[in-house]
Amino acid sequence: MSFLEMENVSVGFGLEGFRTEVLRDASLSVEENEFIAVIGFSGSGKSTLVSMLTGLLRPDKGVIKLKGKEITRPGPHLGIVFQNYSLLPWLSVYGNIELAAKKVFPEYSKAQRKEHIERYIEMVSLTPARDKKPGELSGGMRQRVSLARTLCMQPEVLIMDEPLSALDALTRANLQDELVRIWEEDKRTVVMITNDVDEAVLLADRIVPLTMGPAATLAESFPVTLPRPRDRTSLNTNPEFKKLRNEIIHFMTAMNKEAKMLRVDRGLSMPDVKPFDFTAA
Amino acid sequence: MKFKILKALDVAGLQVFDPVVRLICGENPPEQFRKILLFIGIPIITFLIFIGIWTYLAPRHTTKAGEVPTPGVVKNAADGIWVFHVRENQKAEDFLLEGPAREKALAGVQARIAELTPLASAARTKLGELETASKSQIDQQVGPLQEKYNALRKQTRADEKAREEALIAQADSLPIGDAKARDAFLAKVSEHEVKSGTEKQALKDFKSTIDAAYADKFPEMESVRIQYNAYEEELQYLSKRLDYLTEGNQSVKISEGQSELVDLQSAFLTAEGGKATLKAAEKVLKQEESIARIAESSYSRPWTFPRQIVRSVACVFVGFFIGSAIAIPLGVLCGISRVFMAALTPLIALFKPVSPIVWLPIVFIIVGGFISDPETAFVHPAFLSSAITVALCSLWPTLVNTALGVASVEKDHINVARVLRLGFFSRLFKIVLPSALPLIFAGLRISLGVGWMVLIAAELLCSSEGIGKFVWDMFNNGSSQTFAQMFVVVFVVGVIGLLLDRIMIVLQRSVSFDGAPTAI
Ligand SMILES: Nc1ncnc2c1ncn2[C@@H]1O[C@H](COP(=O)(O)OP(=O)(O)OP(=O)(O)O)[C@@H](O)[C@H]1O
Ligand SMILES: [Mg+2]
Repeated sequence: MSFLEMENVSVGFGLEGFRTEVLRDASLSVEENEFIAVIGFSGSGKSTLVSMLTGLLRPDKGVIKLKGKEITRPGPHLGIVFQNYSLLPWLSVYGNIELAAKKVFPEYSKAQRKEHIERYIEMVSLTPARDKKPGELSGGMRQRVSLARTLCMQPEVLIMDEPLSALDALTRANLQDELVRIWEEDKRTVVMITNDVDEAVLLADRIVPLTMGPAATLAESFPVTLPRPRDRTSLNTNPEFKKLRNEIIHFMTAMNKEAKMLRVDRGLSMPDVKPFDFTAA
Repeated sequence: MKFKILKALDVAGLQVFDPVVRLICGENPPEQFRKILLFIGIPIITFLIFIGIWTYLAPRHTTKAGEVPTPGVVKNAADGIWVFHVRENQKAEDFLLEGPAREKALAGVQARIAELTPLASAARTKLGELETASKSQIDQQVGPLQEKYNALRKQTRADEKAREEALIAQADSLPIGDAKARDAFLAKVSEHEVKSGTEKQALKDFKSTIDAAYADKFPEMESVRIQYNAYEEELQYLSKRLDYLTEGNQSVKISEGQSELVDLQSAFLTAEGGKATLKAAEKVLKQEESIARIAESSYSRPWTFPRQIVRSVACVFVGFFIGSAIAIPLGVLCGISRVFMAALTPLIALFKPVSPIVWLPIVFIIVGGFISDPETAFVHPAFLSSAITVALCSLWPTLVNTALGVASVEKDHINVARVLRLGFFSRLFKIVLPSALPLIFAGLRISLGVGWMVLIAAELLCSSEGIGKFVWDMFNNGSSQTFAQMFVVVFVVGVIGLLLDRIMIVLQRSVSFDGAPTAI
């Protein structure tokens, strides 16, 4: 049995009768210390998937298990990095991380805790912004604070919802390297949501595409066999990388087309009317 | 430094003075001048226009309490209030002075009296002279007029009598039963009455011109009279001070009492016979008691307006704290629990619109039930009633805003709490309350404003010492002097309300994390 296991999970929103199913029969299994990337289009249900993996949302059908135990509620062992950071705006960078650290490691002494927090601030290179409020930070910095907060809880699984999507290309590349460094530094199981195929290939051991919504599901995964450490500059010319990337992009675009075709089929038929030219009369 | 000041101004909502600071720092002067002109100049001009309109309109409306006071009169009234306050404080201080300090103060007072007395008597003579002069002038002017008037009155009376006699004579010869002749006579009588009426009116008009001439005084006399009154007033005050520095002084009284006590004690020592000894002993004890009483006594200061202001502000804060202490916890509970909210909604809806005028008598009676003797009680019941009324009327905005703030905590923040598995109280104090704080403070700010308005009415109604009572006393006095003092109150209440609001803005902004701008 795998470390994190999701079996035939379905979930939807809305009241009976108006219910839209977001995920249907989605299954996923993640091994310990595996780095999984889930890619999907906007609105396909990625954040919903994350909510379920972290126990913030209960599935309508199916079960999600961590180490064989069903996940019924959120907790610090299921570390989530929210898509919209979810930092508390009245606390400083330090304060935000401290809140989590205090709760997760109540046994730490004051000095220990301080050291712990500062280590994680250092890890995401935010030491100069230590006492700033989230409102005074850039999007990328907030993202890093959010990451540091989750990392400092030392969760069993790290689940990140598009952690880098709000960043510009340069910062993004930087943080990708950082992520790999952090992951390699203290290994853990990671599920990362992304909408960037290159990023997925660069970081993950396995890439799982999420099909188009509604009623999306997780498709067959693509294993990434590229050896680590992966160097982004040389990767661009690596034939294996190119092949994998193209395969995934093909898969995604084909899926997109298929979905569009389906949507056209279900489209409303328009009445055949022409404008009447009153000026001619 | 500069940016610190600018930031402080911004937090206090005083961005208006931003260009002044920048100008002092020499930053782009023309631009700053333009801004100062725009944001400081225009408000000042508006205010001046307001003062102008007031000055123009006020004397045009005369009331029972005299003319509506002009800004100048109001200013004088404000000065008068202040002088009264300072003098009362001085007297209270004098009462407690002892030793060389007392003697020094005494010397000062005596010197001032010596200085003022000749001035006052000079003013009095001058006033007397002017009065006789003006009287003789008026007599000169009015004398002929009066004679004319007397003649006219005599003439009119004679005319009227003559007409009346003529009519009587005519009536004598009127044939009986002749309707036509009698109608004609009736017309004549009516004509006579109309004529007498117009004559009387003419007389009256003439008389009023004479009265006006009497009232027409020397303008010079008026200023001398004011000067004289001022001297007299100060002299009176100084003589009061003199009293408090000598016979009325606490230390003087005590030393007098003590010397008396020494006499009594020696009398007691040498007293013979049972009855006399007992009496002497009683006398000694009595004297000791009275000395102790004097030592404890203090000058009974009247409630001057500045002291009433301080008390009003204290009262509004007491009420505001009572109100907040009720409103915030209730609001939090309402925000957390839909059931609690549903339970409280009818009560909130029912009590929110109730006016302070209704609350006050009810509260007054209830509070009176708990405090039997107002003089010895820890708080005066009128003060407590006003405070509770303020609380009852001002807690609603805080309550509603707190409930709203707590209920609308962002879902993301709640998710953080869920991930961290925070318990109820840490969730409340670490997530819910901080995120609701800006809204709570917005509510508190409205509450304090409402409370301040309500307070004046409450004090007025239950005559709790404070601004409201001052207004009520002034209203009952009904002189033009007190009328002007009521105008002073308007400005005082306005300025204090403004300051309270500013304080709340600063607090509100210091807890707001989203950089919410302040309303004016
Ligand atoms: N609370 C909700 N109530 C109703 N519908 C919801 C709710 N949350 C999500 N949805 C719907 O579920 C679908 C998936 O939403 P989700 O947030 O998971 O998308 P996503 O893949 O994360 O998109 P993005 O990449 O833009 O973040 C959307 O169509 C959305 O309308
Ligand atoms: Mg999402």
